[in-house]
Amino acid sequence: MSDLDDFKATYFDECSELLTELEEQFAAIEAGERDADRLNAVFRAIHSIKGGAGAFGFSALVGFAHAYETLLDYVRDGRIEMSDDVVTLCIRANDIVADHVKAVQTGDALPADYGMDEKVRFDTLARGDAAEDDEGGEPLDEFDIEFVPVMVNFDAVADVDEDPANDAFDAPPMTAEPGHWEINFRPHQALYARANDPLLLFRELAALGEMSVRAIVGDIPPLSDFEPFAVYCSWEITLIAPALTEAMIREVFEFVDGDCDISVLQLGADLAFDIPEAAPAAAPVAEPGLSDLLALADDEVEALLDFALEAPAAAPPVAAEDPAGEAPALSFAALAETIKPSAPAVARRAPEVLKPVAPAADPDDTGARSVGVQSIRVDLDKVDRVVNMVGELVITQSMLTQQMDETLRARYTELVRGLEVLAQTTRGLQDSVMAIRAQPVKSVFSRMPRLVRELAQKTGKKIKLETIGENTEIDKTVIEQLSDPLTHMVRNSADHGIETPDKRAARGKGEIGTIRLSAEQAGGNILIIVEDDGGGINRERVLAVARDKGIVAPDVNPSDEQIDQLIFAPGFSTASEVSDISGRGVGMDVVLSNIKKIGGSVHVRSWTGKGTRMTLRLPLTLAVLDVMLVKVGDSPYVVPLSSIVETIQCSRAAFERVPSGGKVLQVRGEYVQVIDLAERFALNTETEAENRFVVLCEAEGSHKVALIVDDIIGQQQVVIKSLEENFERVDGIAGGTILGDGNVALIVDVQGLKTTLMHKTAA
Amino acid sequence: MEALGLRDDIGDKTLAAHNSLQLIAFSIGEQTYGVEITTVREIRAWNGATPLPNTREFVRGVINLRGTIVPIFDLRARFGDGQTSPTKNHVVVVMSVGDKWVGILVDAVSDILTVSRDDIHNVPEGNSIDTELLNGIVTHDSRMVGLIDLHAVVSGAKMDA
Repeated sequence: MSDLDDFKATYFDECSELLTELEEQFAAIEAGERDADRLNAVFRAIHSIKGGAGAFGFSALVGFAHAYETLLDYVRDGRIEMSDDVVTLCIRANDIVADHVKAVQTGDALPADYGMDEKVRFDTLARGDAAEDDEGGEPLDEFDIEFVPVMVNFDAVADVDEDPANDAFDAPPMTAEPGHWEINFRPHQALYARANDPLLLFRELAALGEMSVRAIVGDIPPLSDFEPFAVYCSWEITLIAPALTEAMIREVFEFVDGDCDISVLQLGADLAFDIPEAAPAAAPVAEPGLSDLLALADDEVEALLDFALEAPAAAPPVAAEDPAGEAPALSFAALAETIKPSAPAVARRAPEVLKPVAPAADPDDTGARSVGVQSIRVDLDKVDRVVNMVGELVITQSMLTQQMDETLRARYTELVRGLEVLAQTTRGLQDSVMAIRAQPVKSVFSRMPRLVRELAQKTGKKIKLETIGENTEIDKTVIEQLSDPLTHMVRNSADHGIETPDKRAARGKGEIGTIRLSAEQAGGNILIIVEDDGGGINRERVLAVARDKGIVAPDVNPSDEQIDQLIFAPGFSTASEVSDISGRGVGMDVVLSNIKKIGGSVHVRSWTGKGTRMTLRLPLTLAVLDVMLVKVGDSPYVVPLSSIVETIQCSRAAFERVPSGGKVLQVRGEYVQVIDLAERFALNTETEAENRFVVLCEAEGSHKVALIVDDIIGQQQVVIKSLEENFERVDGIAGGTILGDGNVALIVDVQGLKTTLMHKTAA
Repeated sequence: MEALGLRDDIGDKTLAAHNSLQLIAFSIGEQTYGVEITTVREIRAWNGATPLPNTREFVRGVINLRGTIVPIFDLRARFGDGQTSPTKNHVVVVMSVGDKWVGILVDAVSDILTVSRDDIHNVPEGNSIDTELLNGIVTHDSRMVGLIDLHAVVSGAKMDA
């Protein structure tokens, strides 16, 4: 069932988009924009989630979404007022829907009564409304989506009358061949409007012979979509009676002629038991009318079947709206098998296939979709392949350009012009491809309102979340890595930054604390800033804790800024009580390591009593790296430009010896560890010591390290290639890249070099 | 392919029954070794490699194979006979081991052999290098062909592994 899995994956993708939209819509609604468009958008989102959930049988999700949807529908109709309470309830409901979706996605079970309180509140609201309405009289919460046909005794009248036909059937005549008739009856709205009752018709039919009736109720929509005057039911009637003619049957329907679709087919006696079981499941398919089909040739039928088989694949959520459509693909296959062998069989079963369009497709939905189709889903692998190839192209292009010397330039002007155009085009191509991978940070930001809400509730604080620049785009990989750090940061701000309302009042601030989340592009970087107007970092306590935990030596007196950075130290937490929100001592150090992993940096600034600002600086993309190309021995190495502070000629560098025999470099009063890459990588170098270069790099935690290389070749952009893909991790090497001449250069892992060095000195 | 002296008789279906095995045979010095032909992806002339630091001597480095970085293992060095001094005439056999692609530096590719699985002998117990790196031994034209255990060859590449 890999197809089903694909559908599921698509569904979950959609869900996450829809949930994001819900957050957005409610952010606006909460801010007072309570117009119908927003409400409709919310309704559509919930409806789509429910529809898909029904297709996959996620009953808990369907149940909750349905109750929610009902409420929304009432609000939409204006029967329930969109009060603040209702908005709050809805926002809470969104969270529950999100939890349900997550539960089915991960397979984790939620408590059976999860969201029950809210569901009850929906029902109370809806019921309260129904009571006011005093129209249907039916308590809405009892009228469930599961429609159960009610057994009706058709003989109620006939019994009294002692119908002769019934008697005749009781003693079947051996001579007369019994007539088997199959009748399909689908009333129009007009039939009911003229006060006709199908039950009366059935009773009349029952008087003609032995009758079995099956109601086709698959088209009945959820209550929320239920139109009181619409027609959702149709019936299949099998009538067995000797000497029964079509005219007799038609006569029964005489009075409703024109107000219903009716087909009457005579079956051979042997076919009577062949009433298809699979067919009703196939009900919700849009097809031409019955009469059209009966005239269809064999091949046309096949074409139709193909269409019918494709239909559920094309629109699984719609098909799933119908309780009968539990496994549409399956039943269609069964249907196809039974139909293909013979044309008469098709004709016999056709009426069932040819139900008019299922009303499940909400007109709102179709409208929204035709507007919403502005994007396509592409497998990330495919995009990455393009990104890689474009990367290669850029490198080849720059290699070609480098090959052009002055003589060539003078001689082949056309070639030069062509290369210039090529350069422009490749750059443009590269930017466009990178833009494909780029996504607005909104997808991460949109998770924060819920987090803040929950934190505010748990801590009893009043917190307002502002987001700015949520349309700023970053590489998808960066976005994925951003979620955890950002969650920790916001959590930290809400838990440690913002004060309780009392405290805020005492400090002369408004009761409501603000957390501002902003994103902006600054050159080749993206800045994500988390600000709060809370108490700021309590430096005394931070320092005390750091000293206590041995993070800072007792005799060291760090500056204010250095103290602020201490919150990123591993195992550091100042919360006096360990809460379930934060304060487990992991968190901020996770932020730092995650951000470092994607080549970013974190900076924190705090103003006592006024607030804290944490700034994340992230690279725009991970696919292309700006590097400095250096030579060690005969091998090319590249050092990420972002980590290089400066380069110094060895002849001008001030080296000092330390007792271990190693060297340190003195740079502006600072002593920095020296790593000779040739030595470290066991490469022979013939370059004279004074002709070599020092590349001063900044490693984690603003510690510097001086790398000694043989030569500096220049700067360039490279595409990062994995070594692990075909080999394994190599110490001191972060990966590889392919240079313009086709050779492989290795990327120096500055941080890794430093760590192994530290291990060595420790050992 | 001709330059590598390959015989063009792979289509000989009579021997290629279920029980037979096709090998690419290559030489290191006087000795012939083989790997199953289905694992071989490409054969290319030696064109240098970027050395990888902190690896064992039999890891010659990495090459660029159409945009992918592929490690090259020196089979002679792997057998403990010292590093090959490669020339343009030396050959890299690129093959897939599991889901990874690796290259093996050999002196020359000599032949494609079809042997019966029944003719595969166990490696005699004795030297641990033999039993570790060979899956079995077959005889072809009265020559001994060692079947290379690729997984064993590419393992233990790190310095202190």
